[in-house]
Amino acid sequence: MADKHEMDLQEGFLEEIDPLIHSPARLRVMTYLYVVDSLDFVYLKRVTGMSWGNLSTHLTKLEEGGYVKLSKSFEDKKPKTMIELTLDGRNAFRRYKDDMQEALGNLPD
Amino acid sequence: MNNNEISVKEADRQVYRAYFDNGLVDIFLSSFVLIWAVAPYLSARLGDFLSSAIFLPVWAVLYLVLLWVHKAYVRPRTGTVKFGISRRKKLSAFTWIMLALNVIFMILGLVAFSNPVGSGYTRMLAFVLMLLVSFSLAGFFLDVTRFYIYGMLWGGGFFVGEWLYQTYGFSHHGYPVVFGTISAIIFLVGIYKLLTFLRRNPLPGDDQLGWEGNNG
Repeated sequence: MADKHEMDLQEGFLEEIDPLIHSPARLRVMTYLYVVDSLDFVYLKRVTGMSWGNLSTHLTKLEEGGYVKLSKSFEDKKPKTMIELTLDGRNAFRRYKDDMQEALGNLPD
Repeated sequence: MNNNEISVKEADRQVYRAYFDNGLVDIFLSSFVLIWAVAPYLSARLGDFLSSAIFLPVWAVLYLVLLWVHKAYVRPRTGTVKFGISRRKKLSAFTWIMLALNVIFMILGLVAFSNPVGSGYTRMLAFVLMLLVSFSLAGFFLDVTRFYIYGMLWGGGFFVGEWLYQTYGFSHHGYPVVFGTISAIIFLVGIYKLLTFLRRNPLPGDDQLGWEGNNG
């Protein structure tokens, strides 16, 4: 019974995990954005190894959630989109990291 | 780069390394090693100083060519990144340390050139030590493992050359063979990395560059 109680607690706790970050692809994007100040779409595509379409879809979701900010400009007459984590996004990622560590750390062997 | 497991530390490393991983530095570096292969042939006619100085315009031309390759082919594929504060500090520290070391090594070199001290072997050891320190620092700060190997190859080349000279009678202390080979290896690594980089990263179209997020 004690084990079941612990599992119930864990399930309840996991419900607190941010679903916007929890998807593997978005977690990857958030992780790369977390370690830099900003980068552009080209650089992010290279390091994540994701396709343009896939990356666009996930960035759109993160942008809608207020976790990333886009700044558009032109360089050598070519459009450039810089991407960075917002303060909310950075805090959410930290919280997600702590929550996951706590959740997995508390799991019974 | 697109392995499935990711950690914050590894992501930081990958983002940093992705910036330098295009082979251009290797190609430029190979020209510095090449001087040790060619200069011995020229020194009899031009003297020690000119046989090295004659490479300055060669380096200048090569630098301009690589700069053009970077601007036209590499930069558009690399993209733009502004590193986090810890990486920026590391890069800044590397720049200042290398600058200080270069000044120190240059002064030591000038002193040794004008007033030779110790045996030729001692001076060679000192030079090898300088090479190893410089390459190890570059490897550490730029997080490029192969720079350690380049340092060991270049530094070890003096001993291998000397051994070839004394054992098999290779000309010019074996330098042309040894450093010609090392230069070719580094050059080929650079070319391979550059071609791999270009193949793996096709030029993005304007529609992709101008990705509009929510609005597009």
